Amino acid sequence: MTVVAISVNSMNKFYGGFHALKDINLEVARGEKVVICGPSGSGKSTLIRCFNRLEQHQSGSIEVMGTKLDDNVDHIDEIRREAGMVFQNFNLFPHMTILENCTLAPILVRKKSRQEAEKTAMQYLERVKIPDQAAKYPGQLSGGQQQRVAIARALCMAPEIMLFDEPTSALDPEMISEVLDVMIGLAHEGMTMVCVTHEMGFARQVADRVIFMAEGSIVEEAPPAEFFDSPKNERTRAFIGQVLGH
Amino acid sequence: MTVTVIPQDIFLGRIRRHYFSNWANTTVSVAFTVVSVWILWNLIEWAFFDAVFEPDQRQQCEAATGACWSVVTTRWRIVLFGLYPFEEQWRSALACLVMLVVAILSCVPFFWNAKRLPVLWLAGFVTFYVLMRGGVFGLTPVFEQKWGGLSLTIFIFAAVSLLGMPLSIVFALLRRSELPWISRTMALVIDTIRSLPLLSIMFTFAIVMPFVLPGWAIGDKLYRVIVGYALFFACYQAEIIRGGMQALPVGQEEAAKALGMSYWHRIGYIILPQAFRNALPPTINQFVITFKETSLVTIIGFFDVMASGRAASGTAEWSFAVIEMYVFVALIFFVFVFSLSRYGAYLEHRLDVGSR
Repeated sequence: MTVVAISVNSMNKFYGGFHALKDINLEVARGEKVVICGPSGSGKSTLIRCFNRLEQHQSGSIEVMGTKLDDNVDHIDEIRREAGMVFQNFNLFPHMTILENCTLAPILVRKKSRQEAEKTAMQYLERVKIPDQAAKYPGQLSGGQQQRVAIARALCMAPEIMLFDEPTSALDPEMISEVLDVMIGLAHEGMTMVCVTHEMGFARQVADRVIFMAEGSIVEEAPPAEFFDSPKNERTRAFIGQVLGH
Repeated sequence: MTVTVIPQDIFLGRIRRHYFSNWANTTVSVAFTVVSVWILWNLIEWAFFDAVFEPDQRQQCEAATGACWSVVTTRWRIVLFGLYPFEEQWRSALACLVMLVVAILSCVPFFWNAKRLPVLWLAGFVTFYVLMRGGVFGLTPVFEQKWGGLSLTIFIFAAVSLLGMPLSIVFALLRRSELPWISRTMALVIDTIRSLPLLSIMFTFAIVMPFVLPGWAIGDKLYRVIVGYALFFACYQAEIIRGGMQALPVGQEEAAKALGMSYWHRIGYIILPQAFRNALPPTINQFVITFKETSLVTIIGFFDVMASGRAASGTAEWSFAVIEMYVFVALIFFVFVFSLSRYGAYLEHRLDVGSR
């Protein structure tokens, strides 16, 4: 039995006259891990940002956890509560401590008590292995630590789905693995994940499906073994060659 | 090997290096030192050694070569309280003191809170008003036309800030609206009011408004002027806050959205706190300007601290001591504006913690 987490039907997105996403059809099952890759400008970040209305699509439909994404603000809020997002630039709130970053939305949006929210936050901070930094400000942490806090912050909202938008692209090489470790742990626990990333090792290890995008379209999608070993499309082959070829 | 350096040598060495390194430098240094000492000495002599301090010493003043502080010690009450009835001036003094305490309390981090700060200021302002105006609790009513001096200046400044600050936030948010007709209308309003001189706005509100407004909405001239000034303040401050908002990375609002936070939560917890921090230096600047420009109300017949000072030395008896009176008024302005600037610097330093 599979329950659909995200379902996208003939969705199109324009920036003015520019056709950014072309006729996207995609279904992500509950518990599934999907990695989206592709050259820069292919629309992969735009696609993932359409899932929680950080970008607005112009035609077609998007449904997240059974809620239709339309202009109804209640629907948008519902979806945003259920889909946590991790950004390339962390986007922690610099004027709040790590703990406050993690408790703000649960208190305001989920209406939790401060005590309860702090308890949950400390659990997640422990899971990303930085409980001792709770009283510090984001600016006092390294990039890898900040990104792990960002993951904990999203998890504190108890989301059904986690969206990762190039979570390791802004990190120094030695910090990438500490973030990937957290993501792998999350995957093993059965979280539904959609990751835009260039980390092909991660894709091979945890993805159920890899999607390759180019020029605003989904060019190929396949399980990782098939995707990496026998890609069908020529552009996919070229891309894999570039990413893995040296 | 350790090198021991005598601190004095460093000091003298630095002086020699910076000010006496060659013939030309030495000449300039010596010349400036001589001139500065001469000016300073004359100033001290005038202000202290040859000055008359005791009240009611007009004759002695005219004979003395130094400053006549006697005019200040005799007539300071006019500067501080204007035409406020003599027997009731303790109320005016107490009211000023209340505002001063409010100002000092709002420097305490305990009150830095979206709920406590407005309550504190509102409570302080109401106390100030009740003390000044009277008519309740057995206090004799004193009408706004009688208000004056430093208490009037403080009243106008506090009222304009209290009214203008929330208004400026509303203006800034409207100016940033996603609906073009709202943001463009707001931009037009802001640009129009900013392009008018403050004086003409005060005139309009004091003199023209009574012809336009219905009878019940006219109110006292003082309040119309305050509303006009607050509007002017809000337009400038709105642009300052908007600048602070635009300096924020887009990711901040996106992260708040992705967490499911509503518009008001995003504004209240993420955008405004950071925007205010970014906009702190120009905001302090705006407050300093606003405090100083309160003296423009003299033009429409109010006796603020500046006009009261002129009035205090304006009698035939004391007209020779007008400079001393202006120095005194300048000192009052200096104390207020300088503390405001220092407080701004302290805030900047303190709020820096999170951004490091």
